[in-house]
Amino acid sequence: MIELSNLTKAYKDVKALDDVSFTVAAGSVTGFLGPNGAGKSTALRILVGLARATSGSATVLGRPYAELHNPAAQVGTLLDAGAQHPGRTGREVLTLGALTLGLPKQRVDEILDLVGLTSKESRRTLGGYSLGMRQRLGIGHALLGSPRVLILDEPANGLDPQGIQWMRGLLRGLAGAGCAVLLSSHLLHEVEQVADHIVLIARGRVLAKGTPAELSQGRTLEQTFLDLTSHADRSPA
Amino acid sequence: MTATAAPIPFPRLLAVETRKLFDTRSGKIMTAVLVALTVAVIAARGLVAGPDYQLLVGTAGVGYGTLLPVLGIFTVTGEWSHRTALTTFALEPRRWRVIAAKCVPPLVTAVLAALFAMLVAVPVTAVVAGVEGVAPTWDVDVAALLGWTASCVLGVASGLALGLLLLNAPAAIVISLSATIVWSGVRLLGDLGRTLAEWLDLNTAAMPLMAGDLTGADAVRLAVAAAFWIVVPAVAGTVRVTRKEVT
Repeated sequence: MIELSNLTKAYKDVKALDDVSFTVAAGSVTGFLGPNGAGKSTALRILVGLARATSGSATVLGRPYAELHNPAAQVGTLLDAGAQHPGRTGREVLTLGALTLGLPKQRVDEILDLVGLTSKESRRTLGGYSLGMRQRLGIGHALLGSPRVLILDEPANGLDPQGIQWMRGLLRGLAGAGCAVLLSSHLLHEVEQVADHIVLIARGRVLAKGTPAELSQGRTLEQTFLDLTSHADRSPA
Repeated sequence: MTATAAPIPFPRLLAVETRKLFDTRSGKIMTAVLVALTVAVIAARGLVAGPDYQLLVGTAGVGYGTLLPVLGIFTVTGEWSHRTALTTFALEPRRWRVIAAKCVPPLVTAVLAALFAMLVAVPVTAVVAGVEGVAPTWDVDVAALLGWTASCVLGVASGLALGLLLLNAPAAIVISLSATIVWSGVRLLGDLGRTLAEWLDLNTAAMPLMAGDLTGADAVRLAVAAAFWIVVPAVAGTVRVTRKEVT
């Protein structure tokens, strides 16, 4: 459902992405894991057509995202929960999304229920939202069109432990219903319990990919993660 | 409940972008300021200058000349200041459609603002005439009123174009506001300065339009100024937005 092949993004003197390839199948949750600055957001923005690759390709449902019609009806995205107008209410953000997608307004209330925002909270402006509330709103926005593919950049950031547990249940449920889920994180424990595949990235290169069991190879996954990323950190730029 | 994978119809984008103009506190404040200022300026001028309808309508232009370009600027730069472009262009990757949908409501607002000034000037003229015991002047030069309305639209368009080109509200506003001052300086630079202003300053070039006596030569000068301030920056800005990496 999602395919990145040999994706490279080069700036003047640095490669933000270097030959990144992986796929996300229907019915699975893939954790895109790597330290801050590893290139996760760059890869996801190219995937959603907001940035251009230097070479390689990225497709969703077999086509470049930007070629999809009404893409959010098939592919839900949350790229930055903080990127919101502080003067807009949560309900209004969802309403704008529903209007664009061509959905009835009752969908807004369904989504608010789903992500656990009360009616009162939904009428407050985002300037007063915690990061956790913004994440819930952003996840809800991504789910407006009942998409088959879900792309979430650091969705667990700012969520409290209950929130993280809620998100795990939500994403497992969506994958169980056949949805392809790709979520990025810089924190291993956020993804290891929800993802059935992990793509480990650092300094723009994929260091390892596979199931959590394959990656840990008898050790703890954390040890593997630290070994691989610390090596990448020491290598010359 | 499923949304269809058909292209998003343009009227739907238009409805969403119109809604975005008024669904934040700043948008509501801007509208309120525009309305209040129109009423205040026309009423004040009426008290000072007497009940001359056409004169009072034109008075609103003093505020519009500044506010309408700023409205245009805010409309096209807002998504970059708050980074909501991430969401907007993920929902509609064909960015030029979003830009087109964004430009329509402020242009319509310019026409509505002009009509509003014409409306407000009616009771003000009547009341001032009644209070001061003077006969009101209702003479209307239709060509001038139409030309003035068109100049309001041009003002918004120049703000939209500048905003699209710079994608930065403060920079675009500074340029938009200081242009008036710079051109009044240029006009003082003898014949060359005056000629430059006639061809390249949108406000100078639009004066015959506002006076309702646009000749063929005036129209050519206005077209050149409009190309310089509206067409070129709008096209360059649209190309920039469609190619820009959204972060």
